[in-house]
Amino acid sequence: EDAERGASADLAVVEARRRLLDEWLAWRESVEAELEDERLARGLPAQPDEAEAKQAEKGEEQVIE
Amino acid sequence: MRPILLSGHERALTQIKFNPDGDLLFSTAKDQQICVWFSHNGERLGTYKGHQGAIWTVDVDPTSTFIASGSADNTIRLWEIKSGKCLKTWDFPTAVKRVEFSEDGRQLLGVTEKRMGHLGTIVVLDIELDVNAEQSDERALTIVCDESKATVAGWSYMNKYIIAGHEDGSVSQYDAKTGEQLDNVPVHELNMQVTDLQWSTDRTYFITASKDKTARLIAARDLELLKTYPSDTPLNSACITPKKDYVILGGGQAAMDVTTTAARQGKFEARFYHKIFEDEIGRVRGHFGPLNTVAADPTGKGYASGGEDGYVRIHHFDKGYFDFKYEVERERDNRL
Repeated sequence: EDAERGASADLAVVEARRRLLDEWLAWRESVEAELEDERLARGLPAQPDEAEAKQAEKGEEQVIE
Repeated sequence: MRPILLSGHERALTQIKFNPDGDLLFSTAKDQQICVWFSHNGERLGTYKGHQGAIWTVDVDPTSTFIASGSADNTIRLWEIKSGKCLKTWDFPTAVKRVEFSEDGRQLLGVTEKRMGHLGTIVVLDIELDVNAEQSDERALTIVCDESKATVAGWSYMNKYIIAGHEDGSVSQYDAKTGEQLDNVPVHELNMQVTDLQWSTDRTYFITASKDKTARLIAARDLELLKTYPSDTPLNSACITPKKDYVILGGGQAAMDVTTTAARQGKFEARFYHKIFEDEIGRVRGHFGPLNTVAADPTGKGYASGGEDGYVRIHHFDKGYFDFKYEVERERDNRL
C-alpha cells in the first residue's frame, strides 16, 4: 500500500512536470512568434542568426578581396 | 568536471563575462585591473590597466572587438580587446556599478551610483564600431532613478527595453529610446536588493538574483514572473545556461555576517536548478568565500564563477551534464 501511495505521488510529480514543460514550450512559442513579427516589422531578418550569417559571409568576401 | 583555477586577481571578484564565442573570459575585481583569460586552459592572455579604483563591471561587445568597464573611479572606459588600449574614458559624478552593450553593440548603458547630492542614473552612450573612430562624449540618454537606485541593468531583445533591477528589490522596464518608465514590479522582497540580471540567449527573458535568497526568471515584454528559484543564502549572481534548461545561482553569506559555526568551507557553492521545473539539481563546491559572480559560456560548454576569495573557476561540463534529462523531457524528445 505504501509503495502504491509512493507510486501515485511520483505520478503526480511527473504530471506536474509534464504540465510545466507544456506551459513553458507554449510560452516560448508565443514569445518567439512575437519576436519574429517585430523583427520583420523593423525590416530585420526573422532570425538573428541569418543576419550574423550574412555578416560572416561579407567578412569572408572582404578577406578574398 | 574538474575546474580550472585562475589566480590573477588580488581582491574579490566583481564580474566575469565570456565573449560571444566563449573562448575568452573577462574578469574584474576590487583590484584595479581587468584580466582576460583563454577559457579552454585558463591561461591569462592579458590585462587592461588604467582604472584608479575598484572595478565593478565589464562587458564584451557582440563582435569581440571592445570591452567596456565601470569603476569606483567614476569612469566608464572603452578598451580595444586585441591591443589592450584604452580608447575612451567617460567621467561621471559617482561610481559606475554596471555596464552592458546593446544587442547590436551600437550603444552602451552604464548604471551610476547614488551618493549625497546625486541620484542614481542609467546613462546610454553611443558607440562607434570602429577602433579608430572618435567616440562621442555625449550621453544619448539619461534615466534618473528617483524612487530607488538601479543596481543592475541591461538591454532586451532588439534594444526595445532597458530593464533595471533596483535596491528596493523591484524591477523596471524602460523604453530604451525615450527612457520613459513603462513598468515597475516588486519582484523580490522589499528592500532586498537585486544583485544581478542576466539574459537568455535571445534576450526575451532574464534572471535576477537578490539578497532575498531567491532568483527569478522574468519576461522582458511584460515583466511577467515566470519562475522562482529559492535558496538558503543571499544571492549575488545568477545566469541561464544555453543548450540545457538550467540556471546557475551564486551567493553566500559574507564572512563578517555569519556566526562562527556557519563559517565553514563548502558553504560556498554554485547551485544548479532546472530552469523549467524549478528543482535544485546539483551543487558545485570550491570557493572559500561567497560567489560574487557566475557566467555561462554562451556556447553551452561550461560556466565560470568568481569569488570573494579572489579566484575565478572555469568548469567545462562533462557528458553526464549533457545527457541528464527528466523523464518528461525524454518523453517529449521521443514524440518529436
